[in-house]
Amino acid sequence: MKQTVIPMGPQHPVLPEPLVLDLVLEDERVVDAIPMIGYVHRGLEAMVERVEYTEMGYVIERICGICSFMHGMAYCVALEDIMAVEVPERARWLRLVWAELSRVQSHLLWLGLGGDAFGFENLLMQCWRMREEVLDVFEQTTGGRIIHSVNRIGGVRRDIADSELTAIVERLDRLAIGFEATARVFRTDPSIRHRLEGVGVLSGDDARRLGAVGPMARASGIPLDTRLLGEHLYDRLEFEPIVEAGGDCLARVLVRVREVQQSIGLIHQLVDRMPKGEDLPIDTKVRGMPQGETFVRLEQPRGEVAYYVRANGTKFLERFRARTPTFANIPSMIHLVKGCDLADVPNIVLTIDPCISCTER
Amino acid sequence: MANPLNLPMATRSLRNLVSRPATRRYPTVVRPPFEGARGTLEFDLESCVLCGLCVRRCPTLALTCNRDERLFAIDQLRCIACGVCVDACNKHSLSLSPNRRPVHTRAEIGVDGRRPGYEEWHKPEPEPAAATAAGGSDSTEPVPA
Repeated sequence: MKQTVIPMGPQHPVLPEPLVLDLVLEDERVVDAIPMIGYVHRGLEAMVERVEYTEMGYVIERICGICSFMHGMAYCVALEDIMAVEVPERARWLRLVWAELSRVQSHLLWLGLGGDAFGFENLLMQCWRMREEVLDVFEQTTGGRIIHSVNRIGGVRRDIADSELTAIVERLDRLAIGFEATARVFRTDPSIRHRLEGVGVLSGDDARRLGAVGPMARASGIPLDTRLLGEHLYDRLEFEPIVEAGGDCLARVLVRVREVQQSIGLIHQLVDRMPKGEDLPIDTKVRGMPQGETFVRLEQPRGEVAYYVRANGTKFLERFRARTPTFANIPSMIHLVKGCDLADVPNIVLTIDPCISCTER
Repeated sequence: MANPLNLPMATRSLRNLVSRPATRRYPTVVRPPFEGARGTLEFDLESCVLCGLCVRRCPTLALTCNRDERLFAIDQLRCIACGVCVDACNKHSLSLSPNRRPVHTRAEIGVDGRRPGYEEWHKPEPEPAAATAAGGSDSTEPVPA
């Protein structure tokens, strides 16, 4: 049969970011998909050779506008590991509060975009209205809505007062009540089920074979969550990975819906268990130059991010490399797109939650 | 098969019809920025000793300092409002005000009122005669004698 190639992206109404995908079609069926990476490459990894390691953390945050906090945190954790810096307890707990808050806002953003992709624009409005509440918390505590610049090597730059933390938890509780109504829509609405159920099914074996990470793997029944390793104080929290067995687009949506609720619960635990008091240290003075190499893993909203940093004893790092979750999920996405209908491509592409700015750096 | 009469969004949609809008009537109603928000970098020349510490720390090279000419400049288009310079300044000459900066800054407009790079973009095309003189062909391979 005659084949047609349809370019999808970099600009496409359904894509939040410039993903470039050439779809090879036979009639309405996709037989192949060829991704292209590099459209928004900005050379941020090479920039470590020109910007001092102490200031580079603020630039690293600009890798992505949604998981910006996690990028800054991973960079600082990596440098603290190389330089053997003891980070104050309070700073480590505060980092986790912001990390879980950014998971909430990222998933709310995606749920809205997902709703828009399958034609449920009312959900976009509802989810983004709730996300705005979380962004307000960020602006109040860090000074920035999207780019927080609050991590520094050795700790954090701003403290959150205990009373403010309690107010944040109360605010999130109110948000959780409102979110439950929206979550019920995702779970039970017949039009959503009709559109997503059984579309783009990724089996557990395929997810393992193709190296899927994050909600993509968890929706295929694999309890893969870097937080379970217990690093960065996650061992002091009680939680179970959110796993769905379906492996289809609906399962990937439901994983994220449940993770929003889980993260709000985790913030409750964090605020309860963190050391409290006025004027607790939140920062350690870092002296000297880093020498050595390290490897850091963190669970971002989209899955596991891996950071490799090598320092050579000067103020400029020798090598910096980030393996982002979207990059790990692209093989799974290509696998799912092959054989599906053209009309299902936006749903499948969206449900991996592609973050192209992260991937291309 | 799901029940098609199950409409969980209907209650919310009906409530939205009678509830107040979640958005503000911008620009008539503007939300004041939070205290401590990182908006615009501001500078006070009176207290500055032009030591250049902030210039060395700035990750995006947005600051310029010249002690001889007593000159200090902030390129607001390069500035990412990270606040590193504010932390570095011993004299507290730099501060971050919570107000957001305007979208357009003077850095966009050159001295003659045109955008930087205007001349490069608008320079005249090379004469077609020059192309003909150079061989008149797009091919870079040498023409066989």
